[in-house]
Amino acid sequence: MFRIAIEMLLYDKTKYIGLLIGVAFTAFLVTFAMGYFAGFMTRGFALVSENPSAKVWVMDPSVSSAEATINMSDSALDIVRGVKGVNYAAPMYLGNMTARYANGDFQTFQAIGVDDATLSGAPKPANLLRIPESAIVDSGGTEGKLQTPIYKKDMWSYDGSHLNAPTRKLRYGDTMLINSKRVVVAGVSHTIPRFPPRPLLYTTASNFKRLVPGEKRYITFIMVRPTKNITPNKLAKRIAKQTGLKAITSDEFKKETVLWYMINSEDVGDMVNMVILAMLVGFGVTGVMLYMFTYENIKQYAVLKAMGASTKQLSDMIFTQVFISAIIGSGIGVGIAAILAHMVSSATFPFRMMWFAPLIGFLGVIIVSMTAAFISLRPIKKMEPGIVFKL
Amino acid sequence: MSKIISTCRDIVKNFNSGEAEVKALQGITLDVYENELLMLVGPSGCGKTTFVSVLSGLLSFDSGVCKLMGEDISTMSDERLTAFRGKNIGFVFQAFNLLPSLSAIENVALPLTVEKRKRVETLTLSKEMLEAVGLDGKENVKPSGLSGGEQQRVAIARALVHNPKFIICDEPTSSLDHKSGQIVMELLTEIIKEKGASMIVVTHDNRIYKYADRIVHMEDGRIVKVAS
Ligand SMILES: Nc1ncnc2c1ncn2[C@@H]1O[C@H](COP(=O)(O)OP(=O)(O)OP(=O)(O)O)[C@@H](O)[C@H]1O
Ligand SMILES: [Mg+2]
Repeated sequence: MFRIAIEMLLYDKTKYIGLLIGVAFTAFLVTFAMGYFAGFMTRGFALVSENPSAKVWVMDPSVSSAEATINMSDSALDIVRGVKGVNYAAPMYLGNMTARYANGDFQTFQAIGVDDATLSGAPKPANLLRIPESAIVDSGGTEGKLQTPIYKKDMWSYDGSHLNAPTRKLRYGDTMLINSKRVVVAGVSHTIPRFPPRPLLYTTASNFKRLVPGEKRYITFIMVRPTKNITPNKLAKRIAKQTGLKAITSDEFKKETVLWYMINSEDVGDMVNMVILAMLVGFGVTGVMLYMFTYENIKQYAVLKAMGASTKQLSDMIFTQVFISAIIGSGIGVGIAAILAHMVSSATFPFRMMWFAPLIGFLGVIIVSMTAAFISLRPIKKMEPGIVFKL
Repeated sequence: MSKIISTCRDIVKNFNSGEAEVKALQGITLDVYENELLMLVGPSGCGKTTFVSVLSGLLSFDSGVCKLMGEDISTMSDERLTAFRGKNIGFVFQAFNLLPSLSAIENVALPLTVEKRKRVETLTLSKEMLEAVGLDGKENVKPSGLSGGEQQRVAIARALVHNPKFIICDEPTSSLDHKSGQIVMELLTEIIKEKGASMIVVTHDNRIYKYADRIVHMEDGRIVKVAS
């Protein structure tokens, strides 16, 4: 019967290929959408990822993501440094700063202030931050936002803004103004793009304070490296207990950030809905196609039943057909998603194939197919084999 | 008198198609004997197909008693009835009803495959049967590569390969030209006599009446005449 099922499946090549394409498309859609989503989320916690040596992150107890933050008082740093098991603790300042470009145009940056002494948290070429009043800028996943005029005559001119002047990319030595204070571009880095994309400005904590003076609290995060004899997990718990601050491992922080996006970001919510919608449509189409395939062959099943094939034999045939289509189709779909992901993944196109994306794409299709097979058993079970006499 | 293979008493079958109720069978009583070839004739829509469907357990009925080889089919479970039918009845249809994806020999083998017989045995028997209907050499041809007459001969081979006691043919010749029809009927009668099975042939085709042992005439869901 197994053999008959397969020959039946392969008989109408066009139909079979159509079926495979349908299944493959769904598997592709699901896998790709999830990869896309994972890509966005990876960018959402880029700040955590680009500081791999910070195993524990300390923050205000009300903070639950790397995106929406509130600062702690400066004394927090000393308190954390006093906890046993802390090998090293560095502050990180976060804030938005609007910079005036030389042609009079302006751009908002996410400013990241790093420890003056160690520069930990700054991207390469970090050492250049030692130049007074300097900053390293980064496109952070945006395009065409880090610009300055090509010609001297359009820079800081006395006759006002030259907004339509031809521009080029910012580079070492260019200047801009933040709160009317001069900032020298010490370099352009290429760290992990952000979600949502935004230009980044890395500078030292002291320069940060110079640009935005007079705040009561500057420290957004404290990045902690544990000593050799304690796990990040244990140290995080200890810091939390002793300081009353929130301390979590970097993995926990990433997870919390993803969760925060899903709950709080309308954009991400929309994206999740789109992904779910795409999955449902794909699943629906696959299910209907498989159902129709079985239904179209109902006369053949009636013939088999007239000749004594039991319901179990018939359902085995249907499951065989559907299972084979599902396995091959979703294999193709997941494969194409992987290849395409490899090709399109770039700074402006976030994509990350996590281990679970193909798995869910694959399993999702199999489950849907099996459900479709199950539903298409109904007419088979209910049919009066008497229809074999009807033309 | 020879032994009875099938007996029907007062079979009633109505179809409810929307508002109108169709009284397809209005009390049919008929016995079929072993080794006989019975023809069922009558105008279109008089209930011939409905009757053989009921008789062979392919269609449920409203009232009456129908026994096959002494067993009351209305009391059998669907599962048991299916197995019983598969083992004891062979079918030949007007539309042949071969599986288009399977080769001639695989089509013939279906009743044995369903019974889960060994593959070697299945293929040997099917090949012999194909030879018996004069189709040796066409084992691996799909139905689309065969003429109507050849397809019907494959169907006959399929109906007989598992040695059923009872063969039901619904208009086996009406899709065929006269010559192919004659060949098919010759084959059927010959093999039936040889294997000792009973057969009902539903037909419109009076040119094949000569093969019948008895002819049962139906009209409006009733038997109106039985001729020998
Ligand atoms: N599934 C069905 N639903 C409703 N009515 C049906 C159904 N099957 C048959 N009928 C009706 O029952 C009556 C008998 O039909 P049946 O097919 O048994 O006739 P028949 O004698 O085989 O005719 P033909 O010579 O045209 O094959 C007809 O009026 C037909 O329309
Ligand atoms: Mg009929």
